[in-house]
Amino acid sequence: MEEFRQPIILGFVALYMGICIWVGIWAMRRTKSAGDFFVAGRGLGPMVVSLAVFSSTLSGFGFVGGPGLVYATGLSSIWMAVCSALGFATGYYLIAKRIRMIAEVRNSMSLPDIVFARYGSEAARLLTAGTILLGVLGLLATQLLAMGLVLQSILQGTDMFADISLVASVVISSTVLIFYCVTGGIVASVYTDLVQGIVMIIAGALVVITAAHVFEGGFAEATGILLANDGEDIMPFGTLGAMASLSWYFLFGLGLAGQPHVATKMMMNRNLSDNKIILPMTVFGYVIAAMLWISVGVIMRALVLGDVGLPLGNADQAAPEFLSTYAHPILAGIVFAGLFAAIMSTADGFLNIGAAAVIHDIPKALRGRSLDNELFWARSATIILSVIAATIALYSGQLVALLGAFGWGTFAAALVPVVLIGLNWKQASARAAVAAISLSLAINFAIQLWAIKIPYGISGGFLAMLSSMIIFIAVSLAEKPKPLPKDIDRILEL
Amino acid sequence: MKLIYLVKPIHLVFALLLVIAGITIFVLTSDAPIGASGTAHPTIAGLSVGGDGAEKLSAIGKAPYYFQVAVILLAGTLLYMGVPAHRRDWLLRLCFGVGIAFALFVWVMLFSGYEAYLTTGQTRVVFGFPVPTNWMFWGIWGSFAIFDVFYAVAFRRYFLHPDDEAAFKELVREVEAQNSADREAN
Repeated sequence: MEEFRQPIILGFVALYMGICIWVGIWAMRRTKSAGDFFVAGRGLGPMVVSLAVFSSTLSGFGFVGGPGLVYATGLSSIWMAVCSALGFATGYYLIAKRIRMIAEVRNSMSLPDIVFARYGSEAARLLTAGTILLGVLGLLATQLLAMGLVLQSILQGTDMFADISLVASVVISSTVLIFYCVTGGIVASVYTDLVQGIVMIIAGALVVITAAHVFEGGFAEATGILLANDGEDIMPFGTLGAMASLSWYFLFGLGLAGQPHVATKMMMNRNLSDNKIILPMTVFGYVIAAMLWISVGVIMRALVLGDVGLPLGNADQAAPEFLSTYAHPILAGIVFAGLFAAIMSTADGFLNIGAAAVIHDIPKALRGRSLDNELFWARSATIILSVIAATIALYSGQLVALLGAFGWGTFAAALVPVVLIGLNWKQASARAAVAAISLSLAINFAIQLWAIKIPYGISGGFLAMLSSMIIFIAVSLAEKPKPLPKDIDRILEL
Repeated sequence: MKLIYLVKPIHLVFALLLVIAGITIFVLTSDAPIGASGTAHPTIAGLSVGGDGAEKLSAIGKAPYYFQVAVILLAGTLLYMGVPAHRRDWLLRLCFGVGIAFALFVWVMLFSGYEAYLTTGQTRVVFGFPVPTNWMFWGIWGSFAIFDVFYAVAFRRYFLHPDDEAAFKELVREVEAQNSADREAN
């Protein structure tokens, strides 16, 4: 079977992409309005929402970047994963119910709509939409680039496509993504997320089992090698140290609920009471899939430090190298399909919220109403955003890394105080929201643009988020409380 | 006793954020030793090594320990804010108290285990990983997974009480009636 490894992997990836296209065609018939396109008419069941929430959270980073980070720096980055139980808890305790209630009462289609409903401020809506657009372009570009690189590495292993270029690989993979996003909008996005989530869970579980059998002594033998070489890498804070790890825990644990592509999906469930089972299912799915992140990284680091394997040219090769060397061809096929699933499930969420920002939120903030024929423009914006992101990914050089790094921290720092605290504290003010978003953007941009190196590896996104939370509460406390619209006031009581 | 009722969760959140900011400023202004966030592996490109963990903490002492204590208390307080004020009762406070105490216990076990490793250079390996690392994998994740389970178990009592759900449906009916009246007027 080994001689058919590449065709098998390619077959699984092709099958997965075929399913995505089929879902896109199926979902097109269910997408008749902008409401269907952006929030699926608020009619999704708990299984679909839970898998959509978890698969949107664990992007290609979890399957490629994560194992690469563990290979390079030991367990420091695992704090981004072990905080998931807290992250999803904050999402469901603090925003899932209220965001869904406001969406129904105000017929909201996006997070900026929710921010406007809460604060009654067009400036807050515009800043939220602008933040989303900036973050989306960066994160989408990195996802498209990752997708192209993975497809190129698979195709180059075959005789027929040995010389395929990166541009062609990005075009092929992006075309599939654009097709189902344009035809089926969020309906296609969440139903492909359902498939993608299942593939990711299966891939995560199978890889852990495979990784446990690479060394005869299992993970204990790998740990012994690491303890003998450095030791810090396999201890809880990895090589980067305690403050770097803990700042990531803060940023990712409390910041998860501020990710708009995740929060938006909390508006889409049919019944409020479904949240009861959505939360545990989401946490379960995430933790199984995230085991790939830990196990592959640890094993690849132990192989190299134990002189069993050759050093990798690039840390991001940890997962592909593991799969091509140690995984059964069928498992490798499933995991590569899972990798595309992880990337696409996040990218489609970005495309959706980005399109909403362009054709719905920004026009509403600037001229008081959204565009006419929103569905047509939503589909057009989806294509245009994809093309811009792909262009950034392929031709911008440093910009793609800059925007990609900017993404998660930007969303968390700008939106956590405004959404997470603002939906649970009546005194939170519009001026505080504008100040918090502006400050977080300024800090994040300054750190990225001037490449400021922060002592002890402390995350820049953490500093931005901490500052914006403090300024948000301080400004709100300093202001005289203003009465809220009656419907919002009543929702904040519930 | 009355002071307890005057202090709202948001005040506690604000105070904890200021504590976290204070610790962070202390760390940022400390003289970071060389390799405070790891150093490049001497022979293998792309790998970093942790080096002397005790040396890394020499300038900041137990700052990371207190930092995370404040973060756990902050997380617990934020989650508490997610329960409607009129549904917060003694049982909820007890459950949250136990949950946060467990999270703090896990953190103490993790950090003290790590400090013991730094002192002795020895650690036990259980389930394939060092003991402090197991506290991180299962304890840090598990201590807030308990809150996820609590959400599912106590959903109807604290998070969407049937009375609150009925009140929301009433609100939706009122808004729809108002919207249709507005449409007719136009």
